[in-house]
Amino acid sequence: MNGWILAATVELGGGGAAALWGVTTGGPARRVVAQNMTTSALCPALLLFSQGYGRPAYVDLALLLALLGPVGTLVFARLLSDDLAAERPSAWALTWTAAAVGAVVVAAVCAATGPGRAMAKLLVIGALLISGNVIASRALSGGFRGVRGG
Amino acid sequence: MKRLRLALLALGGAGLAALLVAACLDLPGFGGRSHPYGTRAVHASLTRRAANTIASVNFDQRAYDTLGEMSILFAAVLGCVVLLRQARDEHRAQPQPAEVARPVRRYALIVLPVALVTGLYVIAHGQLSPGGGFQGGVVAATALHLLYLGADYRALERIRPLAVYETSDALAVSSYLVLGLAGVLAGTAFLANTLLPYGTFNTLSSGGTVPLLNAAIGIEVASAVVVLLANFLDQAVEIEEEHGS
Amino acid sequence: MDDAVIVVALLLMAGSATAAVVQRDPARQALVLSVLGSVLAVLFTVLQAPDVGLSQLAVGSALTPLLIMLSVRKVRRRGRPEDGGAK
Repeated sequence: MNGWILAATVELGGGGAAALWGVTTGGPARRVVAQNMTTSALCPALLLFSQGYGRPAYVDLALLLALLGPVGTLVFARLLSDDLAAERPSAWALTWTAAAVGAVVVAAVCAATGPGRAMAKLLVIGALLISGNVIASRALSGGFRGVRGG
Repeated sequence: MKRLRLALLALGGAGLAALLVAACLDLPGFGGRSHPYGTRAVHASLTRRAANTIASVNFDQRAYDTLGEMSILFAAVLGCVVLLRQARDEHRAQPQPAEVARPVRRYALIVLPVALVTGLYVIAHGQLSPGGGFQGGVVAATALHLLYLGADYRALERIRPLAVYETSDALAVSSYLVLGLAGVLAGTAFLANTLLPYGTFNTLSSGGTVPLLNAAIGIEVASAVVVLLANFLDQAVEIEEEHGS
Repeated sequence: MDDAVIVVALLLMAGSATAAVVQRDPARQALVLSVLGSVLAVLFTVLQAPDVGLSQLAVGSALTPLLIMLSVRKVRRRGRPEDGGAK
């Protein structure tokens, strides 16, 4: 076990357990926020695993999660907008913390990879992860209004 | 009667549990060093110059299994289309467009092409890196639905002529079969990977028929998922039951 | 020591799978299910099966929640016809 895998395990255990706790308890607002945070918790872990195992191809998993995780949250934000309208879930402190964790992990993995196409891919993943996370939080806190039938 | 049923269930459950325990005791140890099947599969995929052994197993060594899986998806989607069709006592109502916050709408419109390209990338690199037709096809189909999430259902309907996707689904299934039959016509066996040159290791065109079968699966899955979601969306958003009739 | 990663992933997996079964409301179940899907993908990665992990991510992160939530919406609309109908 090297440092990358250790970091990934800590990230996976801490982030995953926190997300699981959040998504199984409390009201709908808290649950959707926790669902959104799952992406920001697990995607950096996948990047760290890819680096730790020395397999650049595993980065594709992080790419897919960074792309589709926020899409999943948008699904809930749109189709649960009636339930969420009363509570307006907003967890901006958590959102920016998660974004910072993502940025730090991407920067560390970039530094270990060195310049080149692999690094460009990592930067794209980082941009997708952070923007997706922020936009999904925005969508949850009243991003969809008047969804009737549509 | 109820007691008899419970006893029968207990008997069956106990038998199943005993068999499972017996089977588990015979399993090789977790994460051992020797993988007889793995070694052979890797060897076979390397002789056919497919860098991703999983793709070689899926589309070459076990291409017949993939044909079955493809038929399962095709039949499942066909069943959904039949079940979720518009019945006689239902009518379509135009849904009201939702109010989507501007950053969310912009994000959806920017990520849509990125996700589409990622889906195509995952399909095209199926025989080189993890991924392949199924994974990429699902991603590409999901990407289209960002238009529903970021705008409204009518915007999605405009770029999604359903007949085209239904046709391409069927065509992709047939092209997989035709590629298999081509092997028979060429004098070898159904779905045998002997038609095409194996190419250079670790390039997009390596692996003989693997990239072609992979692409057929990619088109099939993407079209099937679009058709499936279209039927669900129609039911959830547009189709309403007639009331008071 | 490498097994610690697998143990953590398996524990998360068992926890989220149990939680998904225990939930009664389908919408909440879908939320737990999407977390479960992501955890499962990480478990596959840790077990060195990235192809399966990619399939799980592709299906579990957006497609399954969308299908479940669309079904939930349809059922809810049927439950209160005066809301959506007659427009």
